[in-house]
This record gives sequence, structure tokens and C-alpha cells, in this order.
Amino acid sequence: MPGIIMENHKKYFLTGATGFLGSHIMAGLLLTGKGVVIAGRPSGGESLRERIRRLLKWFGIIRLEPLLEYYETDFFKSRLGLSEDEYRNLCNWGFSIIHCASDTSFAEKNRARVIRSNVESLTEILNFAHESRTHCFHFISTAYAVGADRIECPEAQINTARFTNVYEESKARAESIVSGRCGEVEIPYTIIRPSIVYGNSVTGRSLKFNALYYPIRSLQIIRDIYLEDIRNNNGIKSAECGVYINNQGALHLPIKIFIPNEGRINLIPVDYFTDTIISIIDKPVSGTIYHVTSINPESISRLVSYTERFLNITGIDVVIGTSSADELRNPPEELFDHFIKIYRPYLSDTRIFKRENTDMTTGGVLPPGLDYQIFQKCMAFANSVDWGKTLFR
Amino acid sequence: MDDVLKTAKRCRHYAMCKIDFLGSGLCRSGAERHYVSFYPQGRMDLYAALAENRIPVTEKCVEIAESCDLCGRCEFQCYFVTEMKPSIVMKALKKHVELHLKNGGQVLTAERDSILDELREVVGEYWATNDRAVALTYSSDPCPIAAPHMPAYVVMPHSTAEISAVIKLLNHYKIPYAVRGNGSSVMGFVMSEGAVIDLGRMKTIDFDEKNWLVRVGPGVAAFDLQKAAVQRGYRVNVAEPSALVCANIMCSGIFSLFSASYGTAADNYTDAEFVGRSGEVFRLNEKSAPNLFAFRREDSAVPGICSSASVRLHPVTSDEGAAFVPFEALEPALDFARECAMRRIGLGIGVLGGEYISVFLSPTKKLADEVKDTIKDKLKIEYLVLVIGDKYALRSIKEMGYNYFDNRLIRTLILGLPSLTSAKWFDLMNELADDEPFSYLGLRRFPDFAEAALAPSPAKLVRSVDAELRPFFEKLYARPEMTDPVWLNMFRIVSSRMGREKHVVAMIIYLPIDNKLITDINSEFKRIADSHGLKNDYGFITPLDQGKRCVFEYDYYLDHNNPDERMKMQQAMMDAGMMIEKYYAETGTVTWIRHVFCQGFSRKESFLYSGTVTDKCQG
Repeated sequence: MPGIIMENHKKYFLTGATGFLGSHIMAGLLLTGKGVVIAGRPSGGESLRERIRRLLKWFGIIRLEPLLEYYETDFFKSRLGLSEDEYRNLCNWGFSIIHCASDTSFAEKNRARVIRSNVESLTEILNFAHESRTHCFHFISTAYAVGADRIECPEAQINTARFTNVYEESKARAESIVSGRCGEVEIPYTIIRPSIVYGNSVTGRSLKFNALYYPIRSLQIIRDIYLEDIRNNNGIKSAECGVYINNQGALHLPIKIFIPNEGRINLIPVDYFTDTIISIIDKPVSGTIYHVTSINPESISRLVSYTERFLNITGIDVVIGTSSADELRNPPEELFDHFIKIYRPYLSDTRIFKRENTDMTTGGVLPPGLDYQIFQKCMAFANSVDWGKTLFR
Repeated sequence: MDDVLKTAKRCRHYAMCKIDFLGSGLCRSGAERHYVSFYPQGRMDLYAALAENRIPVTEKCVEIAESCDLCGRCEFQCYFVTEMKPSIVMKALKKHVELHLKNGGQVLTAERDSILDELREVVGEYWATNDRAVALTYSSDPCPIAAPHMPAYVVMPHSTAEISAVIKLLNHYKIPYAVRGNGSSVMGFVMSEGAVIDLGRMKTIDFDEKNWLVRVGPGVAAFDLQKAAVQRGYRVNVAEPSALVCANIMCSGIFSLFSASYGTAADNYTDAEFVGRSGEVFRLNEKSAPNLFAFRREDSAVPGICSSASVRLHPVTSDEGAAFVPFEALEPALDFARECAMRRIGLGIGVLGGEYISVFLSPTKKLADEVKDTIKDKLKIEYLVLVIGDKYALRSIKEMGYNYFDNRLIRTLILGLPSLTSAKWFDLMNELADDEPFSYLGLRRFPDFAEAALAPSPAKLVRSVDAELRPFFEKLYARPEMTDPVWLNMFRIVSSRMGREKHVVAMIIYLPIDNKLITDINSEFKRIADSHGLKNDYGFITPLDQGKRCVFEYDYYLDHNNPDERMKMQQAMMDAGMMIEKYYAETGTVTWIRHVFCQGFSRKESFLYSGTVTDKCQG
């Protein structure tokens, strides 16, 4: 099976369609006229269909709903929690499966939940892949499943012991299970590894506001607190930590961001992610791993300059090294540091993700660089939906 | 029903107008004349009765109305607790009586009565009465299971000898009687159709510092005793501020957060003087005295009247502070509280509901409602373990790996409460603190940041307070003790706010700190109240005896003027009682406070460990 180019199939079985990446894959498939079977769960009192319809409206493609079918599933139950008839019926359709459902928590305290969602749930979905004789099983992983041990990261499975967090670890374990089981029962498969995905580079729209967005959101909130203090509470607390409004009307926030080395952050916009996925699943090469990543990761200094400009602040200083444990940092600095703690490993990443397989499939189309216009559009959109709170209002 | 009558009938009888807990002064006529009738609480009842034509205007009624100088002190006190403004009732009472007199209305003179004459011979002319206006103010409380009883006499003795003589006299005439402190237990214990003996005049506080004791008369309220003790550098273990100390010991034994280290029941005193049921006087430390240290698991009668108690004094160090350790669930909070108790960390320990901050610390219901969801949804605080201790205890908590709100942060939180709902940074805190909830509390500069973000100030806190009262409350909250969690928990002046919306009925049990048992019983309390449509909430848990046992309070709420809710509460209390008995039968370790009533002088060990022994040593 490895190396054989599969045929294009017109119907897809998609998990994780209510998530950020999954929903964009769904929209991408629908816009290219593909039929999609959505497998997922109701949540928060909403049925799966209601959740998806909400997303279709957000994408402005509710008209394409007839191309969708819905199955409320449970990946921890045999036959995906479906009735015998439903399951058999699905097995006879013979579509490609895109497994995008994932728990994206980085938190160690959620280890059991993350492992269960990302690793243990694979058993039933792979049984289904086998029993439905799927044309291809596409597993959406992460570029960071390569682990933290090496600089050059090939589009291949790597035995790694060191991960930044449980999410990365779970994805690495899942990749191993997918390739092992698919190889064993001869299921064609691909593994797709995106890096950090942000909003649409053309419209700025996004459904999720973590990763790239968190540090900017944190700084915006800190900025607003000190502006309020200066404007309405005599600025006493601001003065205590060297915060002031400068002659140009910008807020000076003396915050040092310590990063261990001059690494970069690997970002791709979601529109590039979607186009690339569509290309891959259109002509998949079984047994192949694809890195959907940037070849020009962004430097933190550049992101800081974008952020200062966007938020009308000054004083953010990127420092290579670590702060002394005894150093008494100012309150906004300490808080910001706390806010970005979980993302710190990604801010100074030295890994280089090879992407020959992806380039071969996409004809070498690369993601656009994150310039200020794109950054501004994305952050303005984030603000317009209050960082996701009013996304569907 | 007009607003004045509504206000009058809403009085909860918490007796907070009988203590000067805000430092704004006491009702002058109450302090001089002592009968509850002359305090705002009594005037509320009296006005309601007059407005509903339940009693005529009597001589005492005129005196009660005329003695009110409309100083407005009760306005501050009552607003602080219940947000009610009783001065409209005080004015209405005066007006009612004035109009009655102006219109030539009859003023009923109390009938001469030979028994009354004899009572007056004992206590003095003024301190025994059968006037209906006075009697009415002793005839009811909001307890849903107690019917009102209009007493024939109200007597206010001033000494042990007078109590003894009164008892002998009442026994002689076979007149039943009830003994009353401040009546703040609101459990229906203080009513009688015969006589009510009000001990409110016996307010002696005699320190015996050599022996770390203070001898307390039966009319001394917890707040006043604590105040006197603090002035001398000590602390006493007392309960609600308006509860009279002797009555409180007698009733259920005193428990508070400090019971984690100071104990409860017999731990709180070394000796007490009693007037027995026949009028005989005895001291507990006499060899021939009745054994009140023992406990029998049954409904008990009062063994006599406690006419003084020698209460233990506790040392206070200058480095005491509070740690409010937040938790997302009850079980880890219990684990932490038990561990602190086992390791003897902290003087006071309490597992509080997350609503402690919103309900207890907010000056108004409006603000409490606004911040309630923020505390749960944004701060993710379901439970708080409050530990009061010295710097070594607080340091130990840090070493145990827990972050907490300290004195400074609590002050910031209290005075910055109005900013809490709009604090967007809390959203971020929780999204990013996934791995370590509340880790932001461990940041060294977080208190500075919180001050910048919440901009705490007394002026801000009182924005939701009634405009007329705002200047007073702004000054009040500027006083350091009003935001000092140690002071607030020693004097307990904010806990009565739990009855701000409705009257509260506390379900109290003693049991082991067994997480499953507690969470099961907690769910059962909730299920029962919900099934009767009653507002209900978790109260608190305090470890006792090094965490081997604890006292657990769950609260049910009712509108005591609503007959339907009273009936529902009666049924709910019955169901809860049966549930507690079921757990006792199953475990042998659950003791309902009902069985401790009137046995509060007993040793705590005798009721904490009173279950049937089923595990016998194999010989």
C-alpha cells in the first residue's frame, strides 16, 4: 500500500467538524462539492446538527447543507455508538475518513482525558475504517508530534521521548497507533501535521482565539487596566511599576519577555491550512506524512512590533535568556509571563519542519508570511467578536 | 400590605440591633430599658401587631413608642444585615400612638395581678410586667415549627439570687416559663404562655487573667464579650455576635471556625453557675452538681438556668492572618481542611461555599447577585477553605503547595467587588490556568496587579448602597477591621447576611470528615429542599478534634411570613431529620444537633463519639 496514489473519492466521513480545523475542512470540502458525513456529539443542549448549522451560517454556506449527513456518534462505544443498521449502512458507503476530532488541552492535569480522547478513542474509529474498507484514513495530527529532541524534523515518524505537553505526546502516540493498525490491516492512510493555525489571511476571520491570539489578548487586557488606572484612578498603581502614557499617546508598559533562544514561532493561516488539506486528501499517498507548516516562521521581535503597533503600546522588550528567580518583576510583567507560560515553548522554536511531501502534493504553494496587514485584520476581527465570546451573535 | 408593615413583619429577630456591632451606637431606649420591646426589633413586632389590630394600645406601648428618639441608628444596623430600613416603622409606630392619643383612644392599663406583684417584689417594679405590648414582643420568632405564645409575664432578673427567687415563685404557682437570652437562636425555644425570663440585664464581664478566664453573666452577647477580650489582647470562642454566650453554651455548645483548635461544648468553659429547676443554685465544679458533662442521645430539657460561665481566654499573636484557599470542588477542599486540622495548622478552619464572598462580603443583595456568577464562572471558586493562623501556619499552607487569597487580597476583593463582574482578565486567568487553577494567586506581584485592576475603595464598594446611607457606609468600610478577615471572623458580623433575603434555618450535624459521607449528605440536603421548592445552600464545615470529626451546616431558607413556605419548611425539616437518622443508623457516627440541644455543656467527645460501638476487640 505505501506509495500508491489513491483515487479521488467524493464522499468523506469527518470527525471533529465542530472544532476550529475540522469546521474549516468541512467548509473546504463542501465548497468543492464533496459530500460529507459528519460524526460527532451534541453539546451544551445543542444537537450535532444544530452545532454544524451554526457553523455553516458562520461560513455563509448554509445553502450547502444538503451535502451533509449527520451521525451522532460515540467513539468509545462499539460501532461508534450507532445501531447495527446505521453502522452497516455506513460501512457500505466506502468513503474516505478524515479524523480531526481531538482534545487540544495542554494541561497535565487533563492527561487522562487527553489520552482517552486522542489515543484510546482510536480503536473504534480504526475498526470502522477497517470494516468500511475506507479509501483512505486521514489523521490530523500536529507538527509538534515530532517531539522536542531535534532541530530538523522530517515528514516521518520519529521516536521521541521528550514533549512539551501531553497534547503533543498524545498525538505522537496516536500517529504510531494509526500507522501500526493501518499497516496491519492494510488501510490506506495519511498523517497530516499542521503547525500553529491562526485566522484567515484574507478576511481575518477565525473561530478560535488561542495560540497566537492569547499573548495579544493578554497585553490588551493589561493595557486597558493600566489605562483605566491612569485615566480614572490617578494612575498611582501605574506609576509604581513604571507604566505611563508617553508623548505620542501610547501606553508605555515595561514588560520583558524572556525567551531561551532566538527561535521563532511557526504559524500558518487557516485558509492555507484548508487549501493544503483539500489538496492532500484529493490525491493522497498512502503511508505519507505531510507537514503543513511555514518555511519562514515569525520572529518574536516582529510579532512584538506588530502588537505594539496594534495596541498602541511601547516598552515590550524581548530578552534572550531567563529571568533570575530572585528578580522582582513588575506586576504586569509577571502576570503577562504567567499568561503566556503554556505557549512559551512555541515562541522560540528552533525546529525546522521539512515539507517535501506537502510540496509535492501542492506544487510548492507556501503559506503567506504574517505581515502587519494580516495581523491587523486577524486581531481586529478577534476584537470585533470579543475574542470569541460574541462569535455567533 | 403597605411597605411599612411589610418591613415590620420581615424582622428576622436576629437581635443585631441589640449590639453595637458597627460602632455607631446602640438604640438608647433599648440600652436603658433592656426589654426587647424597647429595641427596634421589639418595635417592629409591636407596630405589626398594632397595624393588624392584634393588640390594643397599652401603657407600655405608649412608653415604647415615645421612648424612640428616631436617632436612625437602627437604620445602619438593619441595613447592614438585611438591607431593611426600619426607621419607617419606628416613625409609623410613634405616629400610630400619637394619633391614637390625639383621637382620645383608650390606653389599656395592665391588670393588677398578685403573682406579678410578687415577681416585682423580687426583681423591682419596673422589671416584671404583664403589659400586652411587652408580652407581644416576646411571643413569637420566625421559627417555622414554633407557634406563637403570648406570655402572661415577662421578668428581667438582675442577679442569680433573683433568678432563683423567680423560679421558686413560678414553680410555686405552677407557671411554666421559658428562659431567653437575645432570642437570636430563632428556634422557638424562648416562648411560653407562662413567663418569659429575659436575662438581658445581667451583663457582667469579669476577667480572671491569671487563670485565662472571663466570668460572663447570662446577658452578655458574643460580640460584647469578644470586644472586651480583644481590648485585653485575648480571644474567646464565640458564635453569632448577638447570641448570648451563656445561652449559646447551654443551647448547643459554641462552635465557630475557631473550634478547629479551641474545641466546642465543654472545651469553651471551665465552670458555670446554675439555678436548677427547683431554684437551687449550684456550680458545675461542685462534686455534688448534676453531671452536665454527660450526653444522652435524646431530646432533652434545660437542666436549669445558667447564671454565669467562666469562659476560656485564648492568646492572640500579632502576626495572625487569613488564608482563603479556593477549590473547584468540595472533596479537595475537605481533604485540605482535614489535613490542616490533623497537622494542627491554623487556629480557625472552615470549608465555606463560594457564595461566602458574594453573600457575606457584599453590602447589598444587588451586588451579591452580580458577583455571584463571576465568582463561580470566572474565578471558578466553588468552595473556599478559610484558615486563620499565625505566620507559621500561613507559611505552612504555601509549603503544602496551596495558593490563597491573603488579608491584602481579600481587602482588595471586598473593596473592589463592583469591578469584579467587568474584570475581563479573570476570563483569561481561567483559560490559561487550566493546568494549575488559582496559580495566579502564587504570583508575587499579583496583589499589586489586583489593586490596579479592581481599584478598590470604600466609595466604590458602597455604590449599590441606598444613597441616604452611603456616606455612613463609606466611612464604615474605610475602617480597617471591616475588611480584615481575621476580625470579621472573630466578630462574625457578616454571617447574619445569609438571612438577608429570607430567614434561614440551619441544619447542623456532627460527623467524620468522610468525603463520600459528606457529599452524599450534602446532596440529600439539597434534594430534600429542592423537592419542597425551598431555597437552600451549603453552609460550612469546620473540623473538630484534629479532623476526626467536623460540624457541618446546610441552610434552608424561607419567607417566614408565607404560610405555604412555613409548611414546606416543616416538611423539609422532617424529611431532613429522617435522613440524618438514617445515616446515624447506618454509620453510628452522624449526630444531629437537635440531640445536643440543652446539652451544650457536655464534653464534645461524648456526642462526637456517641454512636453504637459495633467493632469489638477480639479477645
